Amino acid sequence: MLSRIHPLAKLVVCLIWIAVSIFVFDAWLQIFIIAMAALALIVLERRSVLLVLALMVPFALFGFGFLTTSVLFRQESDFALQMARETPLGSEAFSAGIVLFLRAIACGMVSAVFALTTDPGGLIKALMANWRLPPSIGFSLFAALQLVPDIASEAQQIRLARAMKKGRPPRRIPGPLETASLVIPLLAFAIRRATRTAIALEARGLSPDRPRTIVGAPPFRRGDITFAVLSLALAAAAIWVVIGTGSG
Amino acid sequence: MDIQYKWTLREILICAVLGAVFGVLYLAWVQVWLIAQAIFGAVTMDVVMGFWFIVSIIAAAIIRKPGAALFSEVLAAAIQVMLGSPAGLLLLVSGLVQGAGAEAVFAARKWRDYRLPVLMAAGVGAAVFSFIYTWIRFDYGALAPGLLIAMFVLRCLSGALLGGLLGHWVTEALYKTGVLSGLPIDRARRGAHA
Amino acid sequence: MPEGKAAAAWQDTSIKYPYQDKAAAGPLSLALEAGERLLLLGPSGCGKSTLLNTLTGLIPGTIPAEVTGEVQLFGEKVKSRPPAEWSRQVAQLFQDADQTLCGMTVADEVAFALENLGLPEGEILQRTAAAIDRVGLEPAFGVRRTMRLSGGEKQLVAMAAALAQGAPLFVADEPTAHLAPRAAERLRALLLEPGRSTSVLIIDHRLDGLIDRVDRVAVMGPDGTLVAQGPPAALFREHGELLARFGIWQPLASLLDAELASANLAASDPPLHLSDVLTHIDRLPPDARRLATGIARAFVGRRVRPAIDAGATLSALKGADCAPLFGPVVLRDVSVELRAGEVLGILGGNGAGKSTLGASLAGLLRLKGGRRSGPPGGMAFQNPENQFVTGSLREEIESATDAILTAPEREQRVATMLRRWRLEGLENSHPYELSQGQKRRLALATLTASGRWPFLVLDEPTAGLDAAGAAAVAAQVANLADIGHGVAVITHDMDFALAVCHRVVLVGEGGLIGEGRPGELMRDHALMARAGLEPPTILPALEWLERVPTC
Ligand SMILES: Nc1ncnc2c1ncn2[C@@H]1O[C@H](COP(=O)(O)OP(=O)(O)OP(=O)(O)O)[C@@H](O)[C@H]1O
Ligand SMILES: Nc1ncnc2c1ncn2[C@@H]1O[C@H](COP(=O)(O)OP(=O)(O)OP(=O)(O)O)[C@@H](O)[C@H]1O
Ligand SMILES: [Mg+2]
Ligand SMILES: [Mg+2]
Repeated sequence: MLSRIHPLAKLVVCLIWIAVSIFVFDAWLQIFIIAMAALALIVLERRSVLLVLALMVPFALFGFGFLTTSVLFRQESDFALQMARETPLGSEAFSAGIVLFLRAIACGMVSAVFALTTDPGGLIKALMANWRLPPSIGFSLFAALQLVPDIASEAQQIRLARAMKKGRPPRRIPGPLETASLVIPLLAFAIRRATRTAIALEARGLSPDRPRTIVGAPPFRRGDITFAVLSLALAAAAIWVVIGTGSG
Repeated sequence: MDIQYKWTLREILICAVLGAVFGVLYLAWVQVWLIAQAIFGAVTMDVVMGFWFIVSIIAAAIIRKPGAALFSEVLAAAIQVMLGSPAGLLLLVSGLVQGAGAEAVFAARKWRDYRLPVLMAAGVGAAVFSFIYTWIRFDYGALAPGLLIAMFVLRCLSGALLGGLLGHWVTEALYKTGVLSGLPIDRARRGAHA
Repeated sequence: MPEGKAAAAWQDTSIKYPYQDKAAAGPLSLALEAGERLLLLGPSGCGKSTLLNTLTGLIPGTIPAEVTGEVQLFGEKVKSRPPAEWSRQVAQLFQDADQTLCGMTVADEVAFALENLGLPEGEILQRTAAAIDRVGLEPAFGVRRTMRLSGGEKQLVAMAAALAQGAPLFVADEPTAHLAPRAAERLRALLLEPGRSTSVLIIDHRLDGLIDRVDRVAVMGPDGTLVAQGPPAALFREHGELLARFGIWQPLASLLDAELASANLAASDPPLHLSDVLTHIDRLPPDARRLATGIARAFVGRRVRPAIDAGATLSALKGADCAPLFGPVVLRDVSVELRAGEVLGILGGNGAGKSTLGASLAGLLRLKGGRRSGPPGGMAFQNPENQFVTGSLREEIESATDAILTAPEREQRVATMLRRWRLEGLENSHPYELSQGQKRRLALATLTASGRWPFLVLDEPTAGLDAAGAAAVAAQVANLADIGHGVAVITHDMDFALAVCHRVVLVGEGGLIGEGRPGELMRDHALMARAGLEPPTILPALEWLERVPTC
């Protein structure tokens, strides 16, 4: 479902949700965003509940950093007292730390929805087709993205070559020292690959100032507009509710 | 030697792949940080922060053109977002701010000087910019002043060492592998020897 | 295109890479007429690829070098446009498929040049599908990423991408080095089919199936200058000795013809095919025929390896399921063993799983099922670059020598290896800056520099090598087997397999489909066809020898 939405429409909507999450300093709103993102993944994308929970773990760990910072170092910190005294209903009931914590999860989940439902190649094609991203930059991004999975196999290839020179089969998982020793060869591999890609692109006529066709750029559909309007309306409604209850 | 402003396709591509590789490494570094944070507490972020500036320094030292620091850092952030970084899309803003910090230092030297002190200064530049940004984002004004100063100093040190110095070492090691031949760093060095 | 203008022309061109004191190619002058098919020959490292890269200005535009003289395309100076602007006129296939491809999916890769031409989307899709089909790939390949293909499959995709461009000048640098005979033949036919108006400039080491399709052959010497040119058949007869001295490949027919000529038994017309020579011998008067038959028998005898009694098993796979790195299982239930003192050939079509089998046999890939026994072996990877771990040739070879050597001994060993693999003078170069054949030789030098491994697996050891290089490989392989090592050779060159292997296995249909002595197996036409292979070029002579009476 979500994967069929135009990547740029999705990008704009996700950016707006993130903006909402950042500028509206309210715990309930953050929880609402987290719930929406999780629901979108579970209901619309049919991802397993476990996967969605697992996704939240790193975001939560990340957010936990803010929580500890603000709990331990806030000047007027009577955070623990507040927590004990008040049940978390109104927005003021939460310390800034909790909101920051939830916000990290909320932003993380929105990004996760975007990343999990978007083909990076399609995104870059759409950027070139609709937002006039220059092809030289577009294809550089493309090459960079495609390099990511290849780094793993290149690392494995280097480990094979080294193991063979030593005359013993490579260990299944590289230790920290071995990993560190792979950084420079992998960077060298990446730069070399970039050099060759530049030649390959140039030899087949990628030129900055000639118009080019883009095959397979995702088309805009009516559903994209419906999706954008609905999700923006939802965002507006959520803000309205928060501000309403906050002032009332 | 006058600096060239126009980028070649090869340079754009190299900047992009550097961004990609460091995007992956940055993400691995997040794990290091999270573990350290759990053990040593909150200021850990400032201690490890410098590593997240390194790509801007390496890219600038190799390509030596305006924008290299900024572009590579933003790209590394973008790659992390796509790989599902915990920080989410906001990371793009962090990347922009950090890259701008390093870029500002290179700009101050008119993009001509890439010796070690300048690289370390660029690390500090990124640290200062990122400190201002995190101040706004995480409401640092509410923190105790002593702590704030400690955080600031740690972050600048980290930027100079984990960003500038380490970046310098990596660049040197890469130069030795021969893959940088024909790039501005190579031309500058060979030009200096001739 | 302007009438009568040469499609491509070099005038007194010479190319020098930065910080080198010698020119890598030239000075030379060479022109390719419109519609002409020109084959460029030369020993490995003489500067062929360098010369081609000046054609659209990639040298000095993207690859830094100093170019003197003039290069022209269709009567226009190459310098007058940036390299990318020549893509309408020139389709270029680089020597290393990894350099032609940029890591997208197969369909995107083929469509890329057409997108740059700004063609309508429908036409692009249709031409892309057609090109993929023409080189003999399944449409299902369209969605696969090029970095996840076998060596030969990559080369096919690169070819499809260049063909789809439909440019009036096609330049191909060793387009068939990694292709199985069947696929190679298909490509040569595509590229050089009679009646096409395209001008073709092709560099290749493997000549059979090629020379009867080109109009002219030009030969570069080791110093990078042009030493001979002319129509193929005559050229090989006239300059045969020169070519042999430079270590350049010659067709089998010309080699046998030269041996007959030294006994004054050659035909008046220079031959192109082995069968021409055999027919000629059949027509000789009885005395001369007997003499000529003796020469032919010795000629063939040197090119067929006799059987041996192999020693103990060094490495064995039992019921093994093999998969490439991060890939799915491609071979199931394979059992094969490599013995001391024997040379085992691993043959099969492109993408059959030979490289996967070889790496599994060497103990480098973890099996997905079954068992492997024996110590780990050394492996020369299909892409020689995967072998390199240091920054110069000297370090590369030094790091491969045995640890117990003293410094002078090590120095000595490095010098020997450099001489043996004709890499003298390059010891301070970076391995990545070598020519393709030099890379291959360096990779083989590092593997044979020590007796560290009880057995070796060589993946396409002759791809990209000139005749002298291939002879060095054959000599090393024979030598290793003589001292009791085992060698497994993966190759697409059936004549090479026949000359060096004691035993061969055929890979195909997701497993092993045949095993036996090469001379016998290669005569089983049905089996060879099943594996996508063709019999060796020398087969007609083998069969002919069985027919003629022994004396
Ligand atoms: N980028 C480079 N920098 C320096 N020297 C180079 C570079 N590329 C090639 N050379 C050297 O230039 C010479 C010619 O190389 P080139 O690749 O043109 O040879 P070739 O004739 O194509 O050989 P092969 O048949 O092995 O492919 C070689 O000696 C090689 O080592
Ligand atoms: N990294 C990979 N991921 C997925 N599939 C792969 C990968 N590498 C190879 N393959 C596939 O596995 C099969 C066997 O590949 P392999 O490289 O062993 O073939 P090969 O017989 O050596 O071919 P060639 O003669 O072209 O070198 C091919 O179909 C190929 O497409
Ligand atoms: Mg070459
Ligand atoms: Mg292979």
